[in-house]
Order: sequence, then C-alpha cells, then structure tokens
Amino acid sequence: MATTTLTPAASAYRSGLYEWLTTTDHKKIGILYLVNSFIFFFIGGIFALTVRTELAAPGLQILHDELLYNQLFTMHGTVMIFLFIIPVLVGFGNFVVPLQIGAPDMAFPRINALSFWMLPLAGILLLSGFLTGGVAQAGWTSYSPLAQDRPLASTGPGEDLWIMALLLIGTSSILGGINFLVTIFKMRAPGMTMFRMPILVWTVLVTSVLVVMATPVLTSALIMLFIDRNYGGHFFDAGTGPGSAILWQNVFWFYSHPAVYIMVLPAMGMISEILPVFSRKPLFGYKAFVFATAGIGALGFSVWAHHMFTTGQVFLPFFSLMTFLIAVPTGVKMFNWIFTLFRGKLTFSTPLLFALGFLSMFLIGGINGAFSAAVPVDFALQDTYWVVAHLHYVLFGGSVFGVMAGLYYWFPKMTGRMLNEGLGKIQFVLMFAGFNLTFFPMHQLGLAGMPRRIADYAANAGWNDLNLAATVGGFMIAASMLPLLANIFISRRAGKPAGDDPWEANTLEWATSSPPPPYNFDHLPEIRSERPLFDLRHGREAGH
Amino acid sequence: MSSTPGSRPSTTAIIGWLIAAAVFLALAALVVLNAQSIWTSFFPPAAKSVEGTEIRNLYDIVFAIAVVIFVVVEGLIIWTVVRYRRKPGDDVLPPQTHGNNLAEITWTLIPTLIVLFLFVISWQTLNNVEAVNPKPDLAVRAVARQFSWSFEYLPAGADAETKAVFAITQQDGPTGGLFLPAGKTIHMYLHSPDVIHAFYVPQFLFKRDVIPGVNNQFDLEIPASDAGETYRGQCAELCGIGHRTMTLDVHVLAPADFQAWYDKQVTAASATPPPPPSGAPTIQLVAQGLEFDQSSLTGPATGFTIHFDNKDNLISHDVDILDAGGKKVVDNKDFPGPAAQDYPIPPLPAGTYKFECSIHPTQMFGTLTVQ
Repeated sequence: MATTTLTPAASAYRSGLYEWLTTTDHKKIGILYLVNSFIFFFIGGIFALTVRTELAAPGLQILHDELLYNQLFTMHGTVMIFLFIIPVLVGFGNFVVPLQIGAPDMAFPRINALSFWMLPLAGILLLSGFLTGGVAQAGWTSYSPLAQDRPLASTGPGEDLWIMALLLIGTSSILGGINFLVTIFKMRAPGMTMFRMPILVWTVLVTSVLVVMATPVLTSALIMLFIDRNYGGHFFDAGTGPGSAILWQNVFWFYSHPAVYIMVLPAMGMISEILPVFSRKPLFGYKAFVFATAGIGALGFSVWAHHMFTTGQVFLPFFSLMTFLIAVPTGVKMFNWIFTLFRGKLTFSTPLLFALGFLSMFLIGGINGAFSAAVPVDFALQDTYWVVAHLHYVLFGGSVFGVMAGLYYWFPKMTGRMLNEGLGKIQFVLMFAGFNLTFFPMHQLGLAGMPRRIADYAANAGWNDLNLAATVGGFMIAASMLPLLANIFISRRAGKPAGDDPWEANTLEWATSSPPPPYNFDHLPEIRSERPLFDLRHGREAGH
Repeated sequence: MSSTPGSRPSTTAIIGWLIAAAVFLALAALVVLNAQSIWTSFFPPAAKSVEGTEIRNLYDIVFAIAVVIFVVVEGLIIWTVVRYRRKPGDDVLPPQTHGNNLAEITWTLIPTLIVLFLFVISWQTLNNVEAVNPKPDLAVRAVARQFSWSFEYLPAGADAETKAVFAITQQDGPTGGLFLPAGKTIHMYLHSPDVIHAFYVPQFLFKRDVIPGVNNQFDLEIPASDAGETYRGQCAELCGIGHRTMTLDVHVLAPADFQAWYDKQVTAASATPPPPPSGAPTIQLVAQGLEFDQSSLTGPATGFTIHFDNKDNLISHDVDILDAGGKKVVDNKDFPGPAAQDYPIPPLPAGTYKFECSIHPTQMFGTLTVQ
C-alpha cells in the first residue's frame, strides 16, 4: 500500500486507469461522458437495427417473440435519449464550457464526477432487465396503465429497473444543471461579461435552467409510478383502479417536451461556434440568437400537451398556438445561421459539413413539426411513422449531426491530434445519405397510415418498398460508424498534431495548449468581445 | 495559411463525392420513373368522411406553405454554401458583419404572421371536426381491449353508459367490424377496460385515443356515395404484445342495407342461446382477458375432458391441475389464442384440486372438485 501524499495538483498528473476512475478534472470527466455516451449510442443503434431488420419485409423474420420487439424499441428510445443524446451534450459542455469562459474547472468538481458516474450505473440497471425476464416494454414514454404491467403481466421487474435508471439519470442531470449554472454565473474570467459569452455557453445556460426546472417533475412522476406498481398506489392505474391515465401523460411530457430542447439547444450552440469559424465571420445577430434561445426555453414549457392532441383531454387551441409560436425563435436562429455563412469565406472541413447537415436536416424537422401543430392534421399523423420521421429529423438530423460536428471540431483540443479529413468526409456522406434514406420514407409511411411500434404489417398494405428503403438506410448509418471508429482509434495516436488553434477559432479554449493542462490556462488573453482570439489575431479594429 | 485543413480535396473526398453523386443519380432516376406515385405519397389517402375532407383541405394548405418555406430556405442554404466557398490561398477576411436589426425584425415578423395564419385556419377546421350533432342517426360504442375491438350498437338517445342493443364482437372480416350507414350522422363513443388504445382509420384522417376511465366521443359522417366500401383501421397507441393485431374493418352500407343488417342483428341477439351441455364427460372452460370464465369445476373421478377455449389473441394459456399439497398432477401444454383444444384428464382420486394457468398462476386459477 503506497502511502505517498499527493497534493491535488500533483494527482491530476497521475495517469492510468486509477486516474480516470477518480478524476475531478472537467476535461477528463467531459471525455468520460463522451466515451460512455458513444458506447450507449452503439448499443441503442444495435437495438434500432434489429427493429429495422424485422420491419424490412412483412412477416415476422427474426423477432418471433413480439414482446422482445416491444422491449427493443423501448430500449432504443430510452438509451438514445437518456444515455446518449442528453449526456453526450453534457460531455461537450463539461469539456468546453469552463475553457470558453476562462475558468480553471467546474464550480463543483466532485459533484461533477458524481453526476457522471451515475450514468453507467443507470445504464447497467436499465439493461439488466434482460437478465431478469425482460426489460421494460411500454415504450420510452411508458404510458400508464400499460406500464403497470396489468392486466397483462409481461416483463416482471424490467419496468421497475427502467424507473430506477431514469431516477438516477434525472438526479445526475439536476446535479449537472446546478453545476453548470453556478460555473457560468460565478466562474467567468475577468472581462467575460454575459454578452461576451460564446453562444454554446448561453445554450448550456438555458438548457441547465430547463433541466433544473423540468427534471424534478419527471422524478416525482417516476416515484408515483413506482408506488403504483409496487405498493398499490392509485396515481395512474386507470382501468384497474381509480387513477388517471392522462395524469401520467401530463407530468411525463411536462418534462419530456422541454427535454427535446435539452437535447437540441446545446447542439445549436455547437453549430453556432462552428459556422462563424469556418466562414471567417462573427455569428450574425449574436443578441437575437441569445434572446431566441431564451425564448425557446420559456415557450418550451407551454407546449407539452401537443403530444396529447388525440387524447381529447387537453385544451387544444392553446397548445396549438404555443406550438406554432415556438417555430418563430427557431426560425430566427435558422436565418441567423444562414446569414453567418452569407458573404463569408467557407472552408469545407468536416465540422462544417456536419454543421451544414444540421442546418438542412433540422429545417425539415422544424417544418414537418408544424404539420402536427395544426391540431386536425395531427389527428391524422399522431402515432404514425410521420412522428417517427419528425422526431428523428430533429434529434438525429439536428442533434446527432451537431454532435458529430462538435466531435470533429473539439477532438484536436481534447487529444492534441486532428481527426482525418478523408475518413470524416466518407462518414459524412454515408451518414447523410443513410439518414435521409431511413427517415424520409417514414413521412410517406405515416401518411399511408402505418402506426408506430408494430412488429409486422400486412403485405398488401402498400408499405413494403418504403420500409425496405428505410432498413437499407439504417444499415448505411451503421456503416458510417466504421470510418468514425477507425478515425478515432487511428487519429488519437497517429493523427496530425493539432497545435493550440488548428481552426483559427475565436474562443478561449483555443488559447491554451491541446490538450489543455490541469486548471486550463497559464494566462488569458484580453476579453473585449465575444471573439477574444480573433481580436488577438487581427486586432480589435478588424472585427468591425 | 494554405495549410488550413480541408482546403484541398483528398482522394477519399473525391471518392465520397462520387458515391454521393451515384446515390443522387439513382434517386433522381427513381423519382422520374415514379413521379406520379411519389407525388401522391406526400398526401394522406383520399378522405372518406366529411370530417376527413375538412382535415385534408387543411393538410393541403399546410403542405403548400411547408413546400414553399422548404424550397426557399433550403435553396438559400445551398446557394450560400456554393456561392461563398473560400478560394485556395485567399487570406483576406470577409466583411465582419455582426448583424442587422431590420433583418432580425423582418424574419421575426414574417414567420409570426405565417404561423398565426396557420393557427387560425387550423382552429377553424378543428371547430368543424369537433362539432357534435345533438341528434345523431346512430350511436355506436367502440370497445377496445387487449387485443381486440368490439362494437356495441346503442339505442336512440343513448349516452356513454347505455346498455347496448347488440354487439359485434368480431373485429374484422365480412361479418365482423364496424358496420355504418352512408350519408348518416354517427356518434361514436370510445371505451377501454384495460389500457390506452387509439381508434384510427387512415381514410378518415382521424384518430382518437381510447382511454380507460375517459369517455371520448366524436361524430362521423360518411358520404352517401361511398356505400359498399370497406376501410381497414388499426389501433394506433401501443397497448402491449398484441398491439399490431388490433385491426378493424369499417363496412359502409347503403342506408337500406344497413337497416336490414341492423334488424337481423337485433333478431339474433334476442334469440335464446342454446342450453349448455350437461352431464357430458367434457367440461367447457374459456380464457379471455387473462381470466377463466369459471372459478370452480366439477368432474367425475373416472376421468374427463376439458375443452379449453383460449380467446386471448397471441397470449398463451394452459390448464394444469394441482393437488391439495400443491403438487402438479396434470401438466398440459400451453398454446396461444385464439384457439381451442381438448385436454384429456386421467382418472384422479376424489377430492379437491386447484386448476391454474401455469403462465398466469396469480390471475388465472380456480377449484376443481373430483367426485
């Protein structure tokens, strides 16, 4: 047993597995978040591929146990949302936000580590249902009374494990949100006023407010569901008891709609960092962008019931109006991004390609969302594959393309090595084509009346070709992960050395070494605008 | 600055673009060859109800506006990206534009006006779709349970709780499903005894959730010209393992045909059911909705047969017999419903036994007396 006493500073230099397991350095925790999230991305992707393979042709081919089919799409949704998209964005936030505001670390480094370590534990809990007779099978929305497993008892404790896992993830989110808020409000470097903060920091700030306000509602709903299932509570047990089936939907979506913005705002922030750098211009309409972000956050709390239009139990005009209105700040952002590119000088590196993928795909995800805001049209489209198309254009076309852009953009800062551009472009082309081949036909499937969450369909329903196309696209997306993995594993050791600032970027993280030392900065440049490094490189006057 | 990454296309990038071009050409060929069917695939099926027609008109307006916005904005993105590429070796900074308040106001106001217009027209359509006729020609209660539909026809002046005149318990096929008169106002009640389902018929462009504890209802009118048509509907809310099997047929009949069909159902419902067989060595046992229809059975010690009818779609049941000590004395093989099977029961010593479904022993059990 070693008895050497290490000062905190010295311990940060210790390497190896022990260091990664015990680190409180925000950069290492950020990388842990990313690695963990990508592991769950591949697990969730395998679930999705299995589902898509089953749907490639009518008839049951591989999933003869249809309860297993229900478990797979439930786990796909749960894993992708709670263990991939939300934490992967927290990972980027963790790595980048303290650097961008010139702070040495997060405000609460040990809470930061605690937040992270709850996630792999939650993932193991969630998936351990496969060993206990089946994971949860009621969809990621877990609508009660189906989630009560009554009257048709199905997967035993799988649903309870789902609840426990989400409680852990929710707690992790709340701790992380508070940590970000304190960090952003209290740890900014001298000169870093609120309106000089990079847009990514602003989006993480608004996201954290959403997390802190919305997640406790989900937490209480989960506890009530747990009591219902195990101790005879009557909160949501309509059908077999006096509870309300609609109450679950209200509290669930009160969290889960803001969660959509939790999943997309930081990705918007990353795009807003990348577009100016690769067009060599400042972000167009910085303040408008900040207000639009805050506006989306505020309006995001008044649209939850648009997931419930067909229940007949919500006041339709109000939620319809609010849902239409939230398109306005989103549109403002879209135009600001386009006018950032306008009259710029664009360099088509991989981060910009993925960022442009975000713009063009998220546009579709916004437009096809407006169909569902028109309540009568939603009566036709709700719970069909149209909705599956819509949510994937937002969360995959938007968030995942944003995540890829961010990965190619900040990988040099994290490792000191560039990712390979050729492999990056192959990945982009495969992913972009595969994504559209998978999800665009789902619009038409939904219009033709194919409901979500079915394992099989009639051969004469007219859905065969579109389903086959979607499955082929799914395998293209899977194939696009191979160049990504190869790129990460090769470039991590053999990539081109990055230097401090390979992209001629604007923000403070590029003012320190790659990777940055513990506590980040030896000295900071003067902060007189939202682009301190641009000012340093070209002089303050060139920026106007 | 010429070392900026990505300023020179690499071989891999060229290969990537070639693949993209090939995919694009293949897609373009597909589009040209199937232009007609691709165009119609962007619309819901032709509406077959008065309410559905309203929704379709609204869809067409939303679709037109969506296409214009898509083409303009996506076009702007593509044009900007193509137009403002950085030339190799160009190190001059572009003009550092920070924003423009007039532009911000413009692209806040114009989208606001567009969405307010969309909101108003969808609200109007909503009022028409949700309008309820106080004196409908017919009231039907659709009952959704795991995993089947049945349709209860209600007397005139009925409300959600009224007892049915007769019920169609088969969900599809020539004699099953929802039979409706064309050209009449129909008031639908929705009822679920277990979990949430959704009544969805694509040709009506409409769905409404069937929620336990909630009395959802809506009006439906099918144009007189569509008599003789049959539409296929399906449960649209995940309701468990048999969700996909909850299909339903809507048969539209001319009013005279419907009246004839209706009268026939009323006659059939009022006829006395055949007396149950008695004293036979065969015992009838039915499983439905995770319940046995009997909680106690009696059989002779000389052996008998259980005719077991499993009506639960896709759910497997069996009937096993346990003695007073809980030891399994008869172990029958389970099978999924809907199906029936004869289980031969060998001679057993007289006494009291327990019978149960070995898959759902906590919900499905009863007492067997052997005499």
